[in-house]
This record gives sequence, structure tokens and C-alpha cells, in this order.
Amino acid sequence: MKKLLKDGELLHILAGAVLLVAGLLLEHAWKLTLPAAIVYGAALLVCGAEVFLEAVKGIFRGQLLDETFLMSIASVGAFFIAEYAEGVAVMLFYLIGEYFEHRAVRRSRATIRSLMDINPDTALVVLDGAETEVDAAEVAVGQTVVLRPGSRIPVDCVVLRGNAAVDTAALTGESAPLDAAPGVRLSSGMIVLDGVLYAKAEKTSEASAAARILQLVQEAADRKSRQERFITSFAHVYTPIVVGLAVLVAFVPPLIVFFAFHSNVLLDWVRRALMLLVVSCPCALVISVPLAFFGGIGCAASRGILFKGGVSFDALSHASVAVFDKTGTLTRGTFTVAGVWPVGVEREELLRLMSAAESHSSHPLARAIHAAAPDAPLPSSVKEVAGKGLLAELEGDTIAVGNAALMADVGAVVPDGQEGIYAARNGQYIGAVVVCDTLRAEAKQTLAALRGYGIRRTVMLTGDAEKPAREIAAVAGIDEVHARLLPADKYARLEELTESGAGVVYVGDGINDAPALARADVGIAMGGIGSDAAIEAADVVIMNDNLSRLPEAFAVARKTLRISRFNICFALGVKIAVMAAAIAGLLNFSGGMWLAVFADVGVALLAIVNSLRMVFQKRKSDD
Amino acid sequence: MTHKYTVTGLDCPNCAKKLSGMIEKIEGVESVKLNFLSEELTVVSDAEAAALDKAVKAAGREFSRKVTIDRK
Repeated sequence: MKKLLKDGELLHILAGAVLLVAGLLLEHAWKLTLPAAIVYGAALLVCGAEVFLEAVKGIFRGQLLDETFLMSIASVGAFFIAEYAEGVAVMLFYLIGEYFEHRAVRRSRATIRSLMDINPDTALVVLDGAETEVDAAEVAVGQTVVLRPGSRIPVDCVVLRGNAAVDTAALTGESAPLDAAPGVRLSSGMIVLDGVLYAKAEKTSEASAAARILQLVQEAADRKSRQERFITSFAHVYTPIVVGLAVLVAFVPPLIVFFAFHSNVLLDWVRRALMLLVVSCPCALVISVPLAFFGGIGCAASRGILFKGGVSFDALSHASVAVFDKTGTLTRGTFTVAGVWPVGVEREELLRLMSAAESHSSHPLARAIHAAAPDAPLPSSVKEVAGKGLLAELEGDTIAVGNAALMADVGAVVPDGQEGIYAARNGQYIGAVVVCDTLRAEAKQTLAALRGYGIRRTVMLTGDAEKPAREIAAVAGIDEVHARLLPADKYARLEELTESGAGVVYVGDGINDAPALARADVGIAMGGIGSDAAIEAADVVIMNDNLSRLPEAFAVARKTLRISRFNICFALGVKIAVMAAAIAGLLNFSGGMWLAVFADVGVALLAIVNSLRMVFQKRKSDD
Repeated sequence: MTHKYTVTGLDCPNCAKKLSGMIEKIEGVESVKLNFLSEELTVVSDAEAAALDKAVKAAGREFSRKVTIDRK
């Protein structure tokens, strides 16, 4: 009770309600009209004083059509036509609605905040040999941080000593813990479950993963969806139109009736107009639609899916073509040499030469070849030929390793039908190796699931040879394969697809796909916050490497849109119905105005509660 | 210069819009972004930080006594 009394809002409501009941008793039970009117007046003042004040302040600021002004006019107007109880009720219901609205907004803010509360305030660092607690923001790159069980990791770091299981769910949505051992990189926001780790800070708190995720989510609110933009522009015209309509309703019919029949029906029509004023506030939409998107973005983030704005929700729900990069996206991106076909040299010699040529390259295929012959010598120089391969100077020879185009450039003849990565020494073909990649276990299921979300066509773009690409595509269930594409070709293919008018989703691993990610209607970067270029270019970032998050992204987008669409229809539907009923005079019974107030604040409240479903949605996938 | 504030006590998006309109009118302010749900206010202004703080806080107080604005 003490808490209730402290809550000024609630006190006003209670006092107003008591006075309203007293007034009703005086008027109807004891038939004391004048005392009743006085009590009603007191009730209106108790409830509405603050609203009136706000309204007056609003007028001085030039904000004529704000909510407080409309409610003030409606309640005072009701008094002028001697509908005292109605006038008090308008104000009282408005306050009750506002009260619950504010609570709902506060609640959702708190929930979203706790969802996003992944950045610790303090950190334990080793200073002069002693463990010292400092502000997380003060941890410097290169400092040793101590990570104790149960603590959140304050900065991106690499483990120096110790072993522990680490919960990465806050960042990746992945429930299986990560085994941290020396050399493993950890991101801020993860939680150490058991064991103590000593790790070297690689970034400041501000540049670390958690802070960047938070920033992305915050900024997402600015990239509004079509619905959010519609609501904003709608709110600008809705209120003036309804208020204009109210003025017409109040005066035009009575004037016509007066001149035609010489009877006075002004009060009746003013009453109808007041009801219009009450429903003329678009607050149900203005709060609930952005709230649904905010909740959707938060809910997705808790599953390791970062939407960079509500606008991607629209695009995802309209997409019908899904384009995948092969390597590292559909496949694991870890390659092994599966076949070696030497010509005129020993098998070991071929691998040695190719490994040597590739020893500086970080391309996954190169790593695989290098892994097959790790002891190869270092070449004296290496020149990359974009999209073709590379030329290395080794032991006085020029070794060319790459595709058919490169072989043609150096004049080497590739035997017919030979697939793989070719090698030539001084322009003489010396053989090929075939490198294989494995399909991700969840790829097939993911592609099947996407069809349930409106994806009708799946396309794979790869620089790989035709045969392995087709094999992978067949197993995964991909409709179309475009193989042997240079980076520029990939972009051109994607452009063709987007220009055909279908909504195109491009899913890439984010490291070399930035142009395609940017060009697609929705660019989805898999595998985390690692690459700046990808985050910059993508619309959606999936924090972990798991393709099964993809259908979830679609699901969240759909649900968010469904909720906000429902809210728009529901709120507008009820308001239009009440307006029509009010104008038609169907609400001209005692208590009709109460219904109008419900159409305003009640509907707002229901719409907000509906949107809150998005905020409170639990992680289903990890059960 | 970009200045960030936390705004508490804002109860409706409409209020947020009004308040950001008031802050826009402060001298030297180039742009204002007020996010109703995250309660974050971002002001771009060349004005001196202390003077801007004062003006922004005053705008919050004038707008409603329930609203407080603090630098982040």
C-alpha cells in the first residue's frame, strides 16, 4: 500500500475513481444533481490537473494536436454538454490506460536491457604481479586478464594459460560450451563456466565483440522497416484528419438540421464529435509497432542473429531466391587433398612443389595442399594472379599453380577431363590434385526448412570446378549451380538475379563476399563479428557458424511482421469501427463515450501486450 | 562533436518526438537522435560540452518534471 501511495499516477487514478463513484451515487441514488456536479468537477480536477497542464504547455509550444490536448478537450467538452460522469470517465480511463502503457514500456525496456546486458563493468587484470580489479573500459591491449568461473569476459582476448568451458550463448546463441585452452580466442560477453583462465587482451572493451553487437542493435532502431515508416507518416496525418472530421461532425449536421427543421441538435452532435477526438490518437500504433521490431531485433540477437534493422525483416519475408556461397558456407571450409595425379614427376615431388608455391597463401585450398606436404621449401618469390592462381619462383624454376586459365597463360596443356588444381613447371604440365570439402551436416535440413519460408529457388555460386560443386549441390538439395566463377562473375550472377525482381538473399561466410553481401536484397554473413568488411556490407550477421540459424532468422522476421501487421489492422479496425458508430449515433447512450476511450487506450494496451510477445520470446531452438 | 545522453522518464514515443524537437532548437545543435525504447539521446553539436549539457538538461526539465537527462 505504501508503494501504491508513492506512485503518484496510481494515487490520482484511485482518488478520481472514488470521487466518480461518489458522484454517481449522488446523482442516481440520491438525485442530488448539483452536489453531484460539484463532486464530478472535483474528480475531473484530481484526475486531469496534470493532463490539463501538459496540454496548456503543449499549446504554448505549438503542439496543438497532442494527446493531452485532445483528452482535455474531450473531457471538458463533455462537461459543457452536461455529461459530467462521461467527462470524468474519459480522463480516468485515459489515465488508467496510460498507467498500464507506461508499465508495459518500462517492462519491455528492462527485458531488452537484460538481454543486452552482456558487457561486464569490471575486469580482473594482473598488475605488477597482483590481481587487481579495474574498470572494464580501462583494460589495455596486451594486458593479462584473469577470468574466474562465473565471470563475463570483459574484452576480446586469447588464452595464455588454463582450461575452462566457456558459455558463448550470449553472443552466438549456441548452447554447447566452448573448450577454452591456450591459444583459443575468446570474445567479450562470453561467460567462463569452470576453471580459471589467464588471457591476453587483444582489444579494448569498446572495440570488443560485445560492445560492437550492442552498437549494432542500437543502431538497428534507425534503419526502420516499411511498417515503422508507414506508422510514422500515418501518425502525422491521422490525428489532424480525425480532429478535422470531429469539427465537421460537431457543427455541420446541426446547422443543416437547424436551417431545415429549426430544431437544435447541437449537443447530440458535439457528443459524437467528442468521441472522435478521443479515438484520434494514434498511440496504439506509434508504440506497439516499433516495440515489436525492437523486440524482434532483441530476440534475434539473443539467438546469435544480428539484424541491422527492421528493414531487413521486410526483405527477408519477401525473399524467394536464396543464393549461397559454397566454400565455408554450405561446406565446412576445411579441405583435404583427396586425389593426386602427377604427370612426369613423382607424386611426392608434385605435392612438394605445389605446397611450396602455396606456402604463403591463406586460401583454404592452399592450406589443404600445404598440409599434405608441410615440409616444402619456401619459394624465393610468389606472384598472385587474381582469379587464376599463382606463380612462384622456386629453385630456379617457375611453378604455376592454379586453374585452367592460368595453365593456358603459361602454355601448359591440361589432359582432357582432368579436374582439380593444376600445376606446371616452366610451362610444362606436371599434374593436378583434387581437394575436397565436406558439406555441413545441417545444410540439407536448412535448405529444406527455407522452402517453408517462401524460398522457391536455391542457387550456389562457387569458384570451384563443376564436378565437385554439382556433387555438393546434389547432396544439399540446391537447385542451381554456377561453378568456375571468378569473384567478379559471382557478383555479376548475383546482380542478374536481383535484377530479375525476385527478393534475393545472399548467404556468405563474410570474408571475401562483401560486394555480394551488399548487393543482395538481404546479405547474411555467417560466422561472426570477425570481419569488418562483412559486418559493414551485410544486413544480417549470424554469430556462429551454424546454418540452422538461417531459418530462425526468417522465423523471427515473419513473426515480427505478423505481430505488427496484426496490431495495425486491429487498432485501425477498432478505431474506424468506433468512429463510424459514433458518427452514426450508435454510441449515443450513457457510457458510449467510455467505449470510445477503450478504443483508444484499451486498444493501445492490447497492441503493446501483443508486441511484448516478441520481447519475451524465449529461445526455443536450444531446448 | 557527438554527445550521448541517457534519458529517463519518457513514457511515449510522442513525448520523445516533442522532446527531441525542443533539443533541436538549442543553439549550435546540428542533429538530434532520441531513441524512445533504448532511452538514448545522441546530439551532434559544436557547442561547448558543459554549455550543451546545461541546455539539454534544462530542456528535459522544462519538458516534464519526470524526465531527467544525464550524460552517458
